[in-house]
Amino acid sequence: MGILKERWRGEGMARTGAKANEKKITWKEVKRQKVLLIWSAAIVIYGIIFYYLPLGGWITAFQNYKPKDGLFHSKFVGLDKFKFLFSDDTFIKVVRNTVAMGVINLVVTFVMAIVFAILLNEVKNTFGKKTVQTISYLPHFLSWIIVTGILHDVLSGTGIINEVLMKLSIVDQPINFFAHTTYFWPIVAFANVWKETGWNAIIYLSAITAIDPSLYEAASMDGAGRWAKIKHITLPGIRPTIMILLLMNVGNVLNAGFEIQYLLGNGLVKSVSETIDIYVLKWGISQNDFSLGTAAGIFKSLVSIILIVIANQMAKRAGEERLF
Amino acid sequence: MKRRKITALFMTTALAVSVLGGCGGGGSDSDAGKGSVANDSTETGGSAASSKGDGDVIEFTAFFAVPGAEKNDDNEIKEIIAEKTGAKVKETWLTGQTASEAVGTIVAGGEYPDFIDGGDAMKTLYDAGALVAWDDYIDKYPNIKEYYSDEEWDKFRQDDGHIYWMNQFNNIYGEDKTTTHNDEAFWVQARVLEWADYPQIKTLDQYFDLLTSYAEANPTMEDGTKNIPYTILCEDWRYFCLENAPQFLDGYPNDGSVIVDPEGPTIVDYNTTDTAKRYFQKLNEEYHKGNVDPESFTQTYDEYIAKLSTGAVLGMCDQWWDFAFDVHDVFKQQGLDTIGCNYVPLGLTIDEGMENQWHTTGGTLNVASGLGITTSCQDVDAAFQFVNDLLGQEVHDLRYWGVQGVDYDVDENGMYFRTEDQRMNAADTAYKASHLCDYSYFPNWKGSSRDGKNAMWPEEQTSEFLDSLAEPVAKCFEAYGVSTYPEMIGSVDKVGEWFPMYSFSNTMTTETPGGVAWTKMGEVKHEWLPKVVMADDFEDGWSQYMEVYNAANPQDFLSEMQAELDRRVGK
Repeated sequence: MGILKERWRGEGMARTGAKANEKKITWKEVKRQKVLLIWSAAIVIYGIIFYYLPLGGWITAFQNYKPKDGLFHSKFVGLDKFKFLFSDDTFIKVVRNTVAMGVINLVVTFVMAIVFAILLNEVKNTFGKKTVQTISYLPHFLSWIIVTGILHDVLSGTGIINEVLMKLSIVDQPINFFAHTTYFWPIVAFANVWKETGWNAIIYLSAITAIDPSLYEAASMDGAGRWAKIKHITLPGIRPTIMILLLMNVGNVLNAGFEIQYLLGNGLVKSVSETIDIYVLKWGISQNDFSLGTAAGIFKSLVSIILIVIANQMAKRAGEERLF
Repeated sequence: MKRRKITALFMTTALAVSVLGGCGGGGSDSDAGKGSVANDSTETGGSAASSKGDGDVIEFTAFFAVPGAEKNDDNEIKEIIAEKTGAKVKETWLTGQTASEAVGTIVAGGEYPDFIDGGDAMKTLYDAGALVAWDDYIDKYPNIKEYYSDEEWDKFRQDDGHIYWMNQFNNIYGEDKTTTHNDEAFWVQARVLEWADYPQIKTLDQYFDLLTSYAEANPTMEDGTKNIPYTILCEDWRYFCLENAPQFLDGYPNDGSVIVDPEGPTIVDYNTTDTAKRYFQKLNEEYHKGNVDPESFTQTYDEYIAKLSTGAVLGMCDQWWDFAFDVHDVFKQQGLDTIGCNYVPLGLTIDEGMENQWHTTGGTLNVASGLGITTSCQDVDAAFQFVNDLLGQEVHDLRYWGVQGVDYDVDENGMYFRTEDQRMNAADTAYKASHLCDYSYFPNWKGSSRDGKNAMWPEEQTSEFLDSLAEPVAKCFEAYGVSTYPEMIGSVDKVGEWFPMYSFSNTMTTETPGGVAWTKMGEVKHEWLPKVVMADDFEDGWSQYMEVYNAANPQDFLSEMQAELDRRVGK
């Protein structure tokens, strides 16, 4: 299989080679690419307006912001809001919940999507394959409010899960799934898997399609079985895709979710269900402390940036695909 | 060709920007459109009491931070009122959020509807400078001025000395005709009382004995649905159904956040009293015996209402307005009222022989929230004019009685009455959306009509109330020798001048230590009260709860309440 490895390296080299070939910027070139430039200008402007200008709002984190006084007349309080934030037990708990659920979701959905894509790829019957694929990605289009409604029904005292458990005499009393802190994270992880696996698998499926069929043929000639082919051709073949997606998702760990926790949570499981986003909503919007909400938001963004940089560096060290 | 490409590009960009800006921009577009109409009719709107249809109808927007049912756009009575007053209102209600979240979002956006009732978050709107001061307008509109006495209006003044909103409810015109108990109680289905041959139920223990013995004798309803002896609603702010019963059980009225001991008067924390402990211990026992619905602490409000609507829940603690309108209407439609599923209130106390104050008479003035007009409103005069018109008798009758000859009839003595069909219509959701328009969160009167005979509301018309009572409820009232809900629970007319204290705690913000404590106490109770009820070892659970509770510094909150109490009694 050494040849295969070489092949992937070779591709990487070809890509770096292209960089050296860059053209000089001349007026002629600019004219030639006019349309492209206008397009990118529009996107840059869009980015500035919608991504960078709103960052000005970060100032509120250092103020005691009052909507009445606005951005320019609110009193500056330095790092007071951050101090309050980090001395608040709830916030610490909320960060823990966010990280925990983020990591669990990342690992579970990530692994499931790859496994599912590979399994689906092994299905030779095109009709069956397409049908399963379509059905499995449909839940992606349901909004969380629907999904949580279904979960509430399914997991309720008289829901199907409890009915089945009772019929099979596994339990003698219906389990109240939403009343115990231990069940909450698994329920969230399960919901994420159910909703996103099919959708996430699409990208891997397309990556698998891009693998040169002659590799499989060669492997068959060498006497490789299905398992060996998956291990030595399919997985290495989609490795760049896996790495890039993993990197992007690491940056998203703190976006562990808002809707599902918000909609499924209740007083009893509050200590494990609330995420940073819910905290921001509670204090920033409900308690009208926009500054505190912004401070929590800044914290979240900073951690996300750090995470993504670290992950990228690690990928670089390991000689893998990376974002930047 | 190239030019066309660039044009296309700009079009796309413009489209993208307008789509993305849509959320914020939508409001201002409609405001602009409305502004022009409003300007045309300023003269008519400002001068005459009811400027009858010169074609231009001003359309206002309103947001109420409570869940409510939307009216159809072509609602018939809304159109009639629009003809008479020259204005109509598109009302929107809370969906899926809490009041403060919804209001916080509106404040953050800075675009307001014309009318707003922010519920608990009224103070937020005031702090954001979103509301128009009423001081210069009140005198110009007689019906508005009449609604409160000068002293009452003064109670609405905020710390800058101005009035920004008026509470819309519980104000009695003329004679008090209250027939319902529009407040909190331990409720029980009439069929349960009938089965037990109408016993005297005075204490919490007796109440649970009644519910459980009924459920043992009748495990299911006729259609096979399993009877649920007791359920508790705990979702978000509605957890009062679990949380504040100790104040009533101790024989105090609904000050909401504290008990006021008339001696002194002093503030007492009802969360830590012996009564509170006994109440939660009782719930804990019943929970473990399986008499408290295990889904109590995880159900949403919708699920709770759906559960009550099946008729299977024998009893619960709740406010009448929180369940009765929805649930009793369903009972009527489903015929469940005839088998005694309707709820009657019981005035329970923790021990026998105590006086209860579940029901307080004479209207309750809650100055913490109400209807405000926002700075986004283009024609403030017309808005006040509309509120004024809604309080006029003719429009008021349209709002609550409906159209004469269609929704009610008048007998030879000028008394309004409804036929059974008309009552059935009034309980029908589709009919309510397409025909009836009560503008329920605009100011309205209770008590007797200006004609001196009828009541402002059909429910309060004695004859109509008695005729419309479900038969099992009427039988129940007869058995106890009472004729109305307040009599059933036993009403008291002696609350202090400070009442109700919740009108202060509802306006607290996290600016003050007391406000922070109040928020944290709420968070602790939300999490721990269910835990305490479910705890395997109650004593252990309770002491853990007390530890966490005390860590929230309730003393900060109580001392601010005491200061407000002293201010109210003029100490």
